Amino acid sequence: MLKRLYLSGNEAIAYGLIEGGVRFLTGYPGTPSSEILPTAQKLKLRYKFKGFIDWAVNEKVALEMAFSASLCGVKSAVTMKQVGLNVAMDPFLNAAYVGPKASFVVVVADDPGPHSSQTEQDSRLAAYLAKVPVLDPSTVEEAYLFAKKALELSSEFEIPLMLRTTTRISHGKSDIVVSEEFPQEEFNPSFKENLKNWNIELQRLAATPKLRHLLHKRLNEKLDALAERNKPRFFYQGDILILTSGIVFSYLVELIEEHQLENKITLAKFDMPFPVKYQKFSEFKRVITLEETSPLLELFFDTEGRRNGLVPKEGELTPEVCEKIFSRLGLIPEKKSIAIPPLKRPSLCPGCGHRIGLFALKKVFGKKAIFCGDIGCYTLALNFGVTDTVFCMGASLSFATAIKKLFDEKEKQREVVGIIGDSTFLHSGIPPLIDAYHYRVPFLLIILDNETVGMTGNQKTPAHRVSYEGKPLNPVKIEKILEGLGLDFVKVVDPYDYKETLQVLKEAKEYLKISDKPCAVIMRHPCVYTREGLLNNPKRPVQILEEKCTGCKFCLSEFECPALYFDESSEKVCIDKTLCIDCGCCQFVCPKKAILEVKA
Amino acid sequence: MKLVILGKGGQGVLFFSKILAQMALNEGRSVKATEIKGMAKKGGVVEVQMKIDEGLSPLIKRGEADLVILLSPDLEEYGKTFGQKILKFTEEEIKKAFEKVPQRLVNTYLLGVLLARHKIFDKKTALKVLDEENKKSFLKGYEDAEKNVQSQDGDFT
Ligand code: SF4
Ligand code: SF4
Ligand code: SF4
Repeated sequence: MLKRLYLSGNEAIAYGLIEGGVRFLTGYPGTPSSEILPTAQKLKLRYKFKGFIDWAVNEKVALEMAFSASLCGVKSAVTMKQVGLNVAMDPFLNAAYVGPKASFVVVVADDPGPHSSQTEQDSRLAAYLAKVPVLDPSTVEEAYLFAKKALELSSEFEIPLMLRTTTRISHGKSDIVVSEEFPQEEFNPSFKENLKNWNIELQRLAATPKLRHLLHKRLNEKLDALAERNKPRFFYQGDILILTSGIVFSYLVELIEEHQLENKITLAKFDMPFPVKYQKFSEFKRVITLEETSPLLELFFDTEGRRNGLVPKEGELTPEVCEKIFSRLGLIPEKKSIAIPPLKRPSLCPGCGHRIGLFALKKVFGKKAIFCGDIGCYTLALNFGVTDTVFCMGASLSFATAIKKLFDEKEKQREVVGIIGDSTFLHSGIPPLIDAYHYRVPFLLIILDNETVGMTGNQKTPAHRVSYEGKPLNPVKIEKILEGLGLDFVKVVDPYDYKETLQVLKEAKEYLKISDKPCAVIMRHPCVYTREGLLNNPKRPVQILEEKCTGCKFCLSEFECPALYFDESSEKVCIDKTLCIDCGCCQFVCPKKAILEVKA
Repeated sequence: MKLVILGKGGQGVLFFSKILAQMALNEGRSVKATEIKGMAKKGGVVEVQMKIDEGLSPLIKRGEADLVILLSPDLEEYGKTFGQKILKFTEEEIKKAFEKVPQRLVNTYLLGVLLARHKIFDKKTALKVLDEENKKSFLKGYEDAEKNVQSQDGDFT
């Protein structure tokens, strides 16, 4: 039954994948990819088909699991953000050589801008490197259609397909027509059923380097066949040809129609920017490529674009940027650009347990300690001086290990702290900790445990006991992992209990002086951005005694709760009650004791 | 029609954009929108750009929005980069909203104010997408604002 629904690009992808028969879907959350999997879970609950749809501990594991599901004949897909694909690169490249059995699609969300990522990398280039064909939708509707198309091509050519989306597609919304038909396809995983031909299968599933060469050859043949069929779609008729893919196509259509350039420009849209077949576009006066965020079509067809300075080498190709390129081409007069005032920098939510925990850490260890941070909400602790490095998932602990080791070699006393969230720790914090233990590196490990993946929208973590379907799960206890490794100082505190937290941190500091092992403090407090978290959060309303507040702004710069603000007229700090959640943590911060708990 | 809705996390930007989109869809018009949320959750800037019955992409060029709906007055300077026509709620209106309806319905009250000032959608369309208690709160806002609009010299219409 056809239905018109108002969906985000990510929801549309979930519909496309599930309608296309995906019955094994996993991934790791990361903006802007995180909503695909939860949407698919909702569909599973609604239509009750068989299969597995849930998060994996990291992207590498996710990709491996999904690929092996495909080898069992179950259509599968995996979702991640672009930097997540870096984590999964090893199995990604392998998957192309080995080739899936049932359809296998890797959905990767890029973040030109970037809006919430470390890099602006272009996953289409990763697809090129891995020799994996990639579809690049230009609208929410295409995101839905291409998800299905990716599954079809994957099964036809026995090759993994990448569906590359970007922030504007994933978080864009549009009314689109979906079929909402979920074929109750036979769910029939099979593996090693036919022992007679198993040796032949093994040449693929466990190929040695010699056979890999053959697999590579076969992969190239598949790509050639696909490229042969992959033709761009042409729009308008002008003597300037613009090659494009992804959302930039939509901007260009709008601009061409707005400025009536239909007989000046021809657009060539590549639904699949790789693999393509080379052709000379010699009938055109100029050939230019506009694509996000790196040259791919530009290199392949050797056109103008980023390399001759026509297109900016970094940043999103927004409609404004595309318009500027049109003026550079002499197609439209130059427009004055509008200066955009900077927005207030982001901070942790009011009442976030990370804030008071890290404030206590700063208090005990002092600002001279080296704070190696990680990827998560708590990155924002750099605003108040409790984070010195932010690199990539898990790097807090590799950094802490190496930096502390260097100072030890030099016999120089420096305090080093690695700060990592629960989900990030499980994702990739364990391997560096193994090295820290093995090489006897005594640094302080702070695990900020809010029992959720906070930054990306509160996805579940391996600490959960029940799945979205109500099935029991084994909760993973971080303290057991640490003890199992051999750490003998592992303490758990609720950072809202400020005194206790200070006490434990002081003990840790003493312990590190005499120990040659890392020690761990787990600061456990639920994220207050979730409904349950906020509902169950302790209520300790505070007030600021005006006569005691000197307006020193210590609380603003060293603690930075967004609910605290400086009132210019009274020159004192006040509480914005619309933001304050009455957590009471700021009472421990004011050196003048001007913030007091209001006792009921 | 090109709309931009700006505010801070927790202020109902997404609520506004959802209801406006639903109204357009109910009228059989197409909607393209985009949400940009910063890293911060509560208190961080949330921006929605929405095109109704036009374009292929949801993005609006700076200076070209038909209306910028501002839920947070300190974002005005930023909001103006999208377009000169800004709708913000006066302190008085917000105070009134909190007095007249329970907190969870404040947004629908303000939606009433918005539609009374800018007839971007018919009142009837709004009533169709709201449930009973939201309807009441919406009408209160609508009527209160209508009284006001008549007494003003109409610079908001
Ligand atoms: S989302 Fe949760 S963990 Fe992140 S800043 Fe807000 S309260 Fe803290
Ligand atoms: S509340 Fe305390 S810390 Fe904050 S400005 Fe006033 S005296 Fe300074
Ligand atoms: S009680 Fe203090 S720290 Fe907690 S939210 Fe309110 S102002 Fe912020």
